[in-house]
Amino acid sequence: MTAGRDWRADPEAGQYTDPFWDALEADRFLLHRCRDCEETFFPPAPVCPRCGRTDVAWVEADGRGRLVSFTRQHVAPPGFEAPLALGVVELVEGPRLLAGLPGDAAPSLDATVELTAVEYDADYDRRDRSGRPFFAARIVE
Amino acid sequence: MRIGGATLTTLKNEYGARLSTPSGLVVAVHPIGRGMTVPVSVRYIERSRSCGANSIRRPFAPAGQNSTRRGGAVKPPRAQVRAGDRHVPTPHVAGVATLPNGEYDAPERDLALRVALDALEAADCPAGALDGIYMPKPRPWTAQGLFSTLLTNLLGARPRRTVEVYTGGTSGGTAFRTAVADLRAGRAERALVLAVERTSTVETADYFGYVLSLFDREFAAPAGPSIPAVYAASARRYCHDRDVDRSTLAEVVVKNRANGAANPRGLFEESVTVEGVLDARPIAEPLGLYECPAPCDGAAALVLAADGDPPDGAVSVVGVGGRHAASHLLGPRDGPLYALPAVEGAVDAALTDAGIDAAADLDLLEPYAPFPHVEAALTEAVGLFDRGAGAAACARGATATDGAHPVSPSGGCLGRGHPAMVTPLLNYAAAVRQLRGTAPAPLQVPGARTALTTTEHGHVDGATAAVFRRGSA
Ligand SMILES: [Zn+2]
Repeated sequence: MTAGRDWRADPEAGQYTDPFWDALEADRFLLHRCRDCEETFFPPAPVCPRCGRTDVAWVEADGRGRLVSFTRQHVAPPGFEAPLALGVVELVEGPRLLAGLPGDAAPSLDATVELTAVEYDADYDRRDRSGRPFFAARIVE
Repeated sequence: MRIGGATLTTLKNEYGARLSTPSGLVVAVHPIGRGMTVPVSVRYIERSRSCGANSIRRPFAPAGQNSTRRGGAVKPPRAQVRAGDRHVPTPHVAGVATLPNGEYDAPERDLALRVALDALEAADCPAGALDGIYMPKPRPWTAQGLFSTLLTNLLGARPRRTVEVYTGGTSGGTAFRTAVADLRAGRAERALVLAVERTSTVETADYFGYVLSLFDREFAAPAGPSIPAVYAASARRYCHDRDVDRSTLAEVVVKNRANGAANPRGLFEESVTVEGVLDARPIAEPLGLYECPAPCDGAAALVLAADGDPPDGAVSVVGVGGRHAASHLLGPRDGPLYALPAVEGAVDAALTDAGIDAAADLDLLEPYAPFPHVEAALTEAVGLFDRGAGAAACARGATATDGAHPVSPSGGCLGRGHPAMVTPLLNYAAAVRQLRGTAPAPLQVPGARTALTTTEHGHVDGATAAVFRRGSA
């Protein structure tokens, strides 16, 4: 199945990223992979950011990654509790993403983390993703 | 970059930040509320280059272009309209005006009119002679919409083109580049580039809502990030990978705050120490208050002219460039979190455009560097220092006003205060004053002839660069 082209051909297909949230409900974290150049990327989009081709497909992530960096925000947006711990995670497949770092474990650079689906409890209007779980990074070691 | 109204208030409380004007009048900033107006009768008219006193515009006859109407009987020979054969004019800065950074009660309209009229007067250029008006689109909390149209009508201008552009922190750079492109192409001979911003009017919650909207609202914003948070992440990684201590990075803040304190147009009177930087209230660890730029109000305008040869000693725009990396607030796809491919690309393009071999050949830099590791990494990225050596170079004085490579003599984002929409123009104005020899005395780089400025937005996702030179190109 070619996710990008199928979606473009069907105006009733809904949002391109719907499959990501459906999978996250089932504790699966989906990425995108280009069938031409094998680039794995996130966020998902109907085009490969490396080679520009559109033969892209959903693939399930291992779920583990490396903590590239982290911070603790002492001034948080309304709807979020300060201090707020955030990490930049590089997944084993390569893509980089931003994720909350819940829990008390002290983060350290290059720590192994695991993505988990979490109930979303911040008072931020996610529009049509409201009520869906979100994801966070748990420090494994 | 912005830390919201509440933080600004706290910052001012803790710092006792004050505004000083060149007249020597010092006014304390009220910690809460907007009950203060800077005595804006103190003006900053800098007259230098005339763009033609009492000149009458020739309608629709840009330099070097055939004005034969489409469909007319006489068609120009093809060779005459080929850009490659056309003389490309070099725009020069005919007038500059800036308001000191601070907090203003007056509406954006009034601040914009002040700098616009001052710059036009300095350029000896009536508003009716403008071919183009270029500005950043004021940010969402600005009450007045369709701002450039309001201004055009009030000025009685009849430009061929108005541009209101929003690309985050590069907006002023994008407006400037667009003006330069029009001047070079013969689409305009006189351009007004201006910017205005009041962050003092935005409520903290609204500001954070705006900042969240900059992030990917589906996959990143729900985590609750801020702009300092992503710069904190890159700062931490930069320090780790390049083996740089935060205390060494703090030297960049100390240098810029000292420069900013000596700049009468800056927000702060006080300088800071390394210890003060390290002990400041944390904003997003490891970054503390003084490692983040302070939002404020400001306005600036430049009149660019390309109506014949620049007068002797004029400051010209001799190089422009820009680049956007494949990145959105989380570092480039193909490099570490702190890599600056957008800046490298923009600066490389601008230097090539200017015919300058290396950034080391320039007399000074006025970069858009809102956090200390960005300035350090930028000086490395453009080749002034080895990778990881930027902060140490600053600590030993290499980027001081009297150093080998002066960087941010005006104080920059960290030392001067940071009205983000205006900062690019403040950098241009600082560069022009340096090259004219009219920078504030302790900050003047003696004999400066060439200067590089940059802008950036997001987490250095996109960048622009401009090179200025005194004397004809
Ligand atoms: Zn590909």
